[in-house]
Parts: sequence; C-alpha cells; structure tokens
Amino acid sequence: MIEIKNLSFSYTGDMPYIINDINLNISKGTYTSIIGKNGSCKSTLVKLILKLLKPCKGSINIGTNKIGYVPQRMDTFNSQFPITVNEILKCHMHILKIKNKDIIDKSLDSIGMLDFKNHLIGNLSGGQQQKIFIARALMGEPELLILDEPSTGVDIKSQNEIYSFIKELNINKQITVISVEHNMEAALKNSSHIIKMQDAKALLYDVSDYRKIINTNALSEKGLHPKNCKQS
Amino acid sequence: MFEYTFIQNALIAAIFISILCPSVGTFLVLKRYSMMGDTLSHASFAGVALGLVINRNPIICAFIFTSVCALLIEYLRNYYKKFSEIILVIVMTLSVGIAITLISTGKTKANVNSYLFGSILTVSKVDLYTMLALSIISVILICILFNKLLYITFDESGAEVAGINVNSVNYIFALLVGATISLSIRIMGILVISSMIAMPVATALQLNKGFKFTFFSSIVFGFIDIIVGLLISFYIDCAPGGTIAITSVLVLLSLLIFKKIKYA
Repeated sequence: MIEIKNLSFSYTGDMPYIINDINLNISKGTYTSIIGKNGSCKSTLVKLILKLLKPCKGSINIGTNKIGYVPQRMDTFNSQFPITVNEILKCHMHILKIKNKDIIDKSLDSIGMLDFKNHLIGNLSGGQQQKIFIARALMGEPELLILDEPSTGVDIKSQNEIYSFIKELNINKQITVISVEHNMEAALKNSSHIIKMQDAKALLYDVSDYRKIINTNALSEKGLHPKNCKQS
Repeated sequence: MFEYTFIQNALIAAIFISILCPSVGTFLVLKRYSMMGDTLSHASFAGVALGLVINRNPIICAFIFTSVCALLIEYLRNYYKKFSEIILVIVMTLSVGIAITLISTGKTKANVNSYLFGSILTVSKVDLYTMLALSIISVILICILFNKLLYITFDESGAEVAGINVNSVNYIFALLVGATISLSIRIMGILVISSMIAMPVATALQLNKGFKFTFFSSIVFGFIDIIVGLLISFYIDCAPGGTIAITSVLVLLSLLIFKKIKYA
C-alpha cells in the first residue's frame, strides 16, 4: 500500500536530516501505529506521506488516491470557529464531488453522532469533535485512513469508542490504518504493526515482536534477563 | 436627499461595499488575518497617490498596486510561516514609503483627503462602473470558491489532503481582498476600510451561529453600518469614513449590551 524508499527530510532542506534514509513497506489492510518520543518526527512522517511536506531525498509511493485524514485536533482546531457539524461535512462533500446527499447522515450515524448534526463544532467535547473528523474522513470511502494522535484531549470512554470503531473499519472494511500514537496501550492493543521513530530512523515491527521487545527490555531494567529467568 | 445624483451614486457604491467587505472579511477574520485589510488599505494609498501623480484613474491604480501587494503578502507567507504579522509590516512600510514620497512631491493632481477619509460627493459614474465591474467579478469568484475558501480557512492541511490547490486559492483570495479594498476607498476612505472588513464580522460572530449564518449576517451588519454612516455623514456634513466606523462600533456595542441584558 505504501512504499517508502530512502526518505530523508529536514525543514531547512539541508543536513542534518530529522528523518534520515528511511525505508518502509506498509501492507494493505494493516493497522500501523507510529510511536516515538516527543520530537521524534512522528507527525512529520505522516505529513510526508500525505504530501503536505516535500521530501529532501527519496520517494513515497502510495497505492491509492482514496485517503482519509484525521488531523491532530489541537493543530487544526479553533474552538471559536463558527461552523456546524453539517457545514463541515457538507463542505467536504462538495470538495470530493460526492453526489449522494445521504452520505452526511450515513457517516454521522456510523459513528453515533447523527444527533449532533446541527451543533456548532466548538460546543462539542473533545471526543465528539474527534468523531466528527473521523466521520468526515470516511465520507470519501477511503482505502487508507491516516490519524494524527486520535486520542489527544479525549476522555477515556470516548477513546475506547474511537479505537474500537477504527479497529472495526480496519477488520471489516479492510481499510489500511496509520495512526500516530502517544497512547502506547492503544497502539499495542489495536495495531497489527508498529513503526518506532527514534534518532531520525524508523523501524517497522510486527506488534507481537514489539511486545516481546518491550517485555525483554522491562525485565532487563529489573535485572531479570529472560534467559536468566527460570520458568515456574 | 435621494434626488441628488451624488447620493444615488454613493448609495449604489455602498451596497457593493457592504456585500464585498464583510464577505472577504469573514474569511480574513477567521484566518486571524484581519490586519491584512489594514495593510492593504495602506497599499491602496500608494496606488491612489501613483494614479494622482501620473493622472490615471486612482481606483484602477489602487487596484493594481493593492493586488501586487496582496500577492506579495501571500508569497512571503511561505518565508515567515511562524511570524506572519511581520509580512504585513514589511508591505505596509513599502506602501507608506511610496505614498508619502509621491504625495510630498506636490505633484498629485487632486485632493488626497477625499481618498483618506472617504467622500460621498466624489463618486463619479466612472468610479461606479469600475466598482460594478470589480464587484461582479469578486462576487462570482467568492461564489465559485466558497467551499474551498471555507475548507482552507477552517482546516488548511485537511483541505490540501482533500485535493484543494491551497496555494492557488490563497493567491486568488489575496487578489479578491485587493479588489475589495481598492473599490471601497472612494466611500470609506483609506484610513477606515479595515474597520468595514473586520467590524461587521466581529458583530456577526457574537451571534454564535454556523458559518453561513455568520457570513450573511456580517453582510447585513455591514449594510446597516454603511447606510446609517452615510446618512449621518450627509446630515452632519462630514466625511463618511468616520461616521461609518463609529456606527460599526456602536452596532457591535448595542449587540453586546443586548446579549448582556438578555442572558443576565
């Protein structure tokens, strides 16, 4: 689905690169979480995939044009902006030239937000706002869904609802999901793959392999290397 | 008073302005770029000064110069992404520098004051036709680009991902702002145009409704501001720019007081 070859990037265009010679292959139908410390360029990688930024070197090939994007809420959002949920979705519908007017109700209904259609976006809670942005992203029936920190500023109950909804889309509709995550628990629970960003590099793991690495590291920190542990 | 041709011309011009200024103003204010109106009004001053020195239509000269400055602002935005206010200072400095230099040479062939403070006496048929042409083009462009402008204003990166050519739309919008300001200077005056761009929107925002409601109510508030301001200026015989600006503040204050009383 996404093939990243020798990707390097810096905001100045010169070295040192903050993303340096990355090679990744993200398969169709996977759920990949991008994790890493603050400033490890997780969101930058996503913006490069979305072509919001231009790579200094290398290339990114995406096997579809049908991309849904849920931006980081705090990045996008001005809570004083006078716009209703219906207006946000209607505007998106016009831009994507979608003829079927029922799509707004259908998208909102799928995520349980139909009752909020005529509400101002600024009057909704963090979780409700995030659901609206997900509904917007789904209107174009995307094959690839990219989310930037979907749980930021969202209460636990809404977080669980959002993650299970995304997981359902991934499994039932075979939508490839890429999610920038600061929520490690959610990343391990929902993803099939993990991309770990560290020191300008990115490593792709199968989630079960990554769990093993975490467990090994945790035991090492306690001085209990797995090889030295006896099974009871 | 309506039997006077100059009043008829002024009222027709006022209708154009009351539609255009709040229309572009809504997007500018919500982009947190309302000071762009102020900067471009100074740019239009340089254009007017140039027109008066070379003896050409000052509104057309203002339109050309303001448009160039608007495009320059948009171009420089890529260089000062995190300090966009400084771009406005750069363009304002250039414009005021040119305007003062030209006017202080004493070669301007008409009274600059009417452009600074606005005038209902000086709107000629030629001005009216120029304003009509610019207004029609601007309104058509706003209608065509409405959804794209709204998307970009609300969520610029989302708009880009959705396939909107954000740069092109931003450049066209910059030209629209330039056109709006240059055709408003006759009535409003250079010094207070920006109030007509921001004040009706500031009032409409207090209604706490959706975008379309805010957009159209800002046009209604703009119409009230400008018509009441023009009538007052006629009766007390002063420049309309000042009375329109004062009216716009009074309308906003009235709404704030009304809200305070209603929700007390």
